Amino acid sequence: MTNDTHIVKSYGEELQFLNDSVIQMGSLTESLLADSMNAITILDKEAVSRIIQSDKKINEYRAKIDTQIMTLLVKRAPMAIDLRITITALRISQDLERIGDLAKGNAKKMLPLPQDLSQELLKSLKRLGAIVESQLNKSLDAYIKKSKDLSVEVIKLDTSVNELAYLSIKEMLSFLSKDTKNLEYATNLLFVAKNLERAGDHIRRIAENIYFLVEGDYYKK
Amino acid sequence: MSTSVKISANHLNVFYGQKQALFDISLDINQNEVTALIGPSGCGKSTFIRCINRMNDVIDICKVEGEIAIDGKNIYDPKVDVVSLREKVGMVFQKPNPFPKSIYENVCYGPKIHGIAQSKDELDTIVESSLKRAALWNEVKDRLQEPGTSLSGGQQQRLCIARAISVNPEVILMDEPCSALDPVATAKIEELIDELKKTFTIVIVTHSMSQAVRVSQKTGFFHLGKLIEVGSTEKIFKNPTNNMTQDYITGRFG
Repeated sequence: MTNDTHIVKSYGEELQFLNDSVIQMGSLTESLLADSMNAITILDKEAVSRIIQSDKKINEYRAKIDTQIMTLLVKRAPMAIDLRITITALRISQDLERIGDLAKGNAKKMLPLPQDLSQELLKSLKRLGAIVESQLNKSLDAYIKKSKDLSVEVIKLDTSVNELAYLSIKEMLSFLSKDTKNLEYATNLLFVAKNLERAGDHIRRIAENIYFLVEGDYYKK
Repeated sequence: MSTSVKISANHLNVFYGQKQALFDISLDINQNEVTALIGPSGCGKSTFIRCINRMNDVIDICKVEGEIAIDGKNIYDPKVDVVSLREKVGMVFQKPNPFPKSIYENVCYGPKIHGIAQSKDELDTIVESSLKRAALWNEVKDRLQEPGTSLSGGQQQRLCIARAISVNPEVILMDEPCSALDPVATAKIEELIDELKKTFTIVIVTHSMSQAVRVSQKTGFFHLGKLIEVGSTEKIFKNPTNNMTQDYITGRFG
């Protein structure tokens, strides 16, 4: 395995700092996604205000990571593994930001929260939210451990996310054909399902980047 | 682009007295490509390129085993004429070293002694075309009789390149050609290398990783007299196979 210590200590510290920033941004995105699912499924009003704050912070992280990367490129001209750490941090932070945007958008669609809502309508959506949350959690785990195997697991999980999203949408449509009480709200839920599926695509891309970071080559099926 | 092998080192071992400087080096250098050799000081990369034109012959205690073939012919064969070998394999050094003569004489010296040109007209043509190919002509055409040493460092290095190419070599060896130059002069030499590789096969020793990435198609990493890894420059600097290579190019060596 490659030696962990750079001759120039501050270079190693800068890479470590970048790595830590990505992890921090990732865990913020993770809690935003959880909050947004809570806002939708248990109508948690406080979650919605937390979401707005977290999203701001996530955007700030993105800008901070951008600056760190530009400084690294200019100062260090990174090569090999260091180049891959730098480039993947750039890509992963972009995907995390998009996941944050999608989760925030989902929560906003739920305002004002309805007074009562059939749990039947939410059943498959909850499952979809849970699988996307665990997909994101696993991808961050893969990033922290720099694990190729975990990244491949996350990539493969995306198929289940897509299937579940399709199923959710079908179930909601069939519910709507029978019960039109929450028509507007339920229509928004269709977008939520679609956005979760798109968040899953971003998580898949994060995992593909982790694979590239570790292996130095692109993931192929 | 042609990828035929121009120079092929096979199981090359080099000794300076009791000390072995190169260990079993086997390396193919492709025609019309730039091959960069990198590695820490004392790793043997300069020793290796000095074997390609038998510069090490001038060192009494130096002993070479194995072979280096150019176009399939072993240059260490006793029948090989070293003077004509060096006509075929030119060299540019770290510090520009023009002769203490005029710019014109610096370039025409080689063609004269190798008998490439006899008449003044022929020499004039060679001097002009060599200086043009070395991207120096426009800067010196009105002062050809001035001493070569009156030029700036970057110009002197291009003069040395003009001198090297004036005898129509097939291979140009460059031993850290830009280490004494400023970024502008370095950029001019790098641009020139890119142009020259269309005609010549170039081997360059450099301590600058980014220069190796910019100018070369193939890179070899030397360490303690051994060739640790060789491959396409892109592969070596993006995803090297050997951990020692990775540690060196990322600055983790110590």
